[in-house]
Amino acid sequence: MTRTGTRLAILGITAAALLFPLVNQNDADIDSAANALAFAALALGLNIVVGFAGLLDLGYAAFFAIGAYAYGVASSWQVQPAWSGFWEPFQWLDLVTRFHAAGGDVVHFQVSFWLMLPIAAAIAAFFGVLFGAPTLRLKGDYLAIVTLGFGEIVPIVARNIPSVTNGAMGLNGVAAPRAFGFDFGIDATPYYYVGVALVAFLIFTSQRLKDSRIGRAWMAIREDEVAAMAMGVDRVRYKLLAFAIGAGFAGATGTFYVAKLQTATPEMFMFPVSVMILVMVVFGGIGSVWGVVVGALLLQILQSWFLEDLSGWLHALGRFIGVDWLQHVELASSIELIFGLILVLMMLYRRQGLIPAARRITPLSLDEQTVRPVPAQLAPNALVTTQDGAQRQLLEIADLSVRFGGLVALQSVELSVPRQSVVAVIGPNGSGKSTLFNAVTGLVAADRGNIRFAGREIIRLRPHQVLERGIVRTFQNIRLFPNLSVLENVMIGMHAGLATGPVGAVLRLPATRSEEAAARERALEILALFGNRLLPRADHPAASLSYANRRRTEIARALAARPKLLMLDEPTAGMNPAETSELADQIKSLNRFGLTILLIEHKLDVVALLADQVVVLDHGEKIAEGPPAAVRRDEEVIRAYLGRSAVFA
Amino acid sequence: MSDYGVLLQQVINGLSLGAMYALLALGFTLVYGILELINFAHFNVFMVSSFVGMWALELLGISGQGQVLTGLALAGALIFAFAATMLAGGVLGVAIERLSLRPLRGVPGTAAMITTIGVSYILFNIILLTVGAGSENYPNPLPVVRWQFGEVTLELKTLLIWGVSTALMVALHLFVNRTRLGKAMRATAQDAEAARMMGVDVDRVVVTAFFLGSALAGAAALIFGLYYNYTSFIIGYTAGLRAFTAAVLGGIGSVPGAMVGGVLIGLIETLGGQLIAVRWTDVIIFSILILVLVFVPTGLFGRAAPTKS
Repeated sequence: MTRTGTRLAILGITAAALLFPLVNQNDADIDSAANALAFAALALGLNIVVGFAGLLDLGYAAFFAIGAYAYGVASSWQVQPAWSGFWEPFQWLDLVTRFHAAGGDVVHFQVSFWLMLPIAAAIAAFFGVLFGAPTLRLKGDYLAIVTLGFGEIVPIVARNIPSVTNGAMGLNGVAAPRAFGFDFGIDATPYYYVGVALVAFLIFTSQRLKDSRIGRAWMAIREDEVAAMAMGVDRVRYKLLAFAIGAGFAGATGTFYVAKLQTATPEMFMFPVSVMILVMVVFGGIGSVWGVVVGALLLQILQSWFLEDLSGWLHALGRFIGVDWLQHVELASSIELIFGLILVLMMLYRRQGLIPAARRITPLSLDEQTVRPVPAQLAPNALVTTQDGAQRQLLEIADLSVRFGGLVALQSVELSVPRQSVVAVIGPNGSGKSTLFNAVTGLVAADRGNIRFAGREIIRLRPHQVLERGIVRTFQNIRLFPNLSVLENVMIGMHAGLATGPVGAVLRLPATRSEEAAARERALEILALFGNRLLPRADHPAASLSYANRRRTEIARALAARPKLLMLDEPTAGMNPAETSELADQIKSLNRFGLTILLIEHKLDVVALLADQVVVLDHGEKIAEGPPAAVRRDEEVIRAYLGRSAVFA
Repeated sequence: MSDYGVLLQQVINGLSLGAMYALLALGFTLVYGILELINFAHFNVFMVSSFVGMWALELLGISGQGQVLTGLALAGALIFAFAATMLAGGVLGVAIERLSLRPLRGVPGTAAMITTIGVSYILFNIILLTVGAGSENYPNPLPVVRWQFGEVTLELKTLLIWGVSTALMVALHLFVNRTRLGKAMRATAQDAEAARMMGVDVDRVVVTAFFLGSALAGAAALIFGLYYNYTSFIIGYTAGLRAFTAAVLGGIGSVPGAMVGGVLIGLIETLGGQLIAVRWTDVIIFSILILVLVFVPTGLFGRAAPTKS
């Protein structure tokens, strides 16, 4: 759809939403529409957690409950502390009143609904952080079970502390919102409009977050957590952010929902509610903002408007064809069965949901598909890095040892990479080359040793901190973010260099806009390094690329992070001779431009062409070091590669 | 009864519940060990099996707790009921794997887990819609025999539960460690790709894991019915979560871990209920789940941390 088309569609949807209560004046219909909007808001919140960040949260209703009880307690007379001077400032702010009771004066809470919307969101977000912080380091499926446990605990606690929540009976007398002297009461229409405004705001927020540095970081974590870390995304921080924002959406919605019902019971927030919200997200399209709204509205409206009618039609059909059991089907009581079927069938046959999040790809023209290699062409602006510090050696590794249980992967390795040089690490498979890369980039913990970069120790740093220092790597088995576009992949490489935070992403002020535009432009410049290999495919998902183009995209992504030291793990693996020499030329020119490079490579002609210095590893130990020609004649090296007999032959 | 006697009695009760949780936990652990998948359908395979056990006993003409059998008749009835329940559980587990999970093998992310939630929901609602929401009086042919040891009472059903669970767990242990297929299972759990290359039929291993795990859930389900004298569509959820906690506590993927974890959770449930309050039992158990995952993610016997590498 074009930009204008999208705007017109949004305008049309908004108009329809605003006119609905005027057209259909049935209060019950408006009421169910308002409920459907509450669930659309919840689906939007869960979508941030499940869809954007890829974290399966099975206890999402807990945050809904927290927001609901926050407003419930703050606006009902369930909790009535004794009056004291402490409460006077709150009385001035009109948050509480002094109530004259028989046994002494007590406090009545009367916090405004409008004030509680953001406060409840903040409280729920706080609990999101509280429960997320210790558990978000866990692998995804463990998180699911922890959130399930958390989702179970919250309603139990609500039931077990009747002094605050009135237990299983539920909170009563929750105040209706007031605006401009008008009491919302029990008429559905005003709630409907608040619901429309809430959902519109959350759609806007979700879209803005999605198309920003924040959204890219979330999707990177979802696609490949290790690669995201290695490209500078602080995974715990961004997972927590997703958890907190998702919880915040639920908290605000809880306040809205309880204000509308004017009661809150623990049953409103149990496991089936969490599952229902998940079904809405899965049905509409995981990660698709409009999809989850449509999914939520359809399923809610199906429940409240059509199930009765559908059951009636089935009964009629049963009578007509004389099938007895059809006459007794009650679809309303089978709704959870329908939910279960939706989950299974969507996962098996349409995982992207009704309205997929993925964009459409325009096929390439024949001309665009014709390769026009541009060897050794540089776009200096895209690559400038500042070379600070005075040490001759950019990277110095001393006495580095890594053990996996009983296996010694690296044993007292010494290695240094002079500034602006190319150092190649070679060695037979299993000699510890990739472990060396992992230890330097913080993906594997070293047992002993020092790694100094530009004169500073980096051995205890986490992967994203290593990237921030200026070390960027590629992976032997290529770790791109498969469902993100080539351009997005490269822009994730810039994550650490950009500044936009969540608030900036939503407000999209001029500073954010220009940062984003500059980043996009630089990403395209970097893609241009590879001629027309990547540029015409900038909007294609990385998964659709050829093997060699994936290697190139990974190098482009690394360059986007403005490395001082570029670490390439077998960059030409799997490439044909022509592609290999093209890439070797390009790497050579990167080095000529001033970039320091450490690479692992098996093709010795590439090593001979590129490397100033070669380090040979075998069984985790350094067995030789020197210029390529000398290393090639070294007896130890020949023995390691070809066996003992080769030396004496 | 002294406090000490009450506690000792709760230990006995806890061991019975623990034996049941251990059998159920083994199903989570076997599947997780091989597919790294949390199988939420397991919750309700257990629940459905408990109904199959009930129908099997009713087929023998036993209803309620009044019709007591003894001697060979009792042994025959129990063997029939256990065989039927375990077979039904096993077949259900294999069907779930074939129909809903195998097509998703290799799909990254949460798709398979979401599917197991869907399957669990379907099983739950099928029983709810066909049998109804009430709880069913469970047929129990066991005579009420009690032995008094000081302040502690030991019942025949307690001994039966201990005996059956121990026998099944020993059998599983021998199967995993002494048979060819068991060796294939252990190899697949270590590295599925390498096992496949060495000629292990991974599909067969997966089916075996689902069959064994679900059959043990079946045994646990019959034990549940005989122990509590009721079943209901709702029993899968709580028991499943507790058993999952047991699997995590013992170290998910570890067969002895699931056994020890099950017993510990059983003890925590009865002693926690006794010493604190029954209404807080679930909060205690889920808190343990979260604390274990956060501080000792490998559990007591786990081999590898479940953090992503």
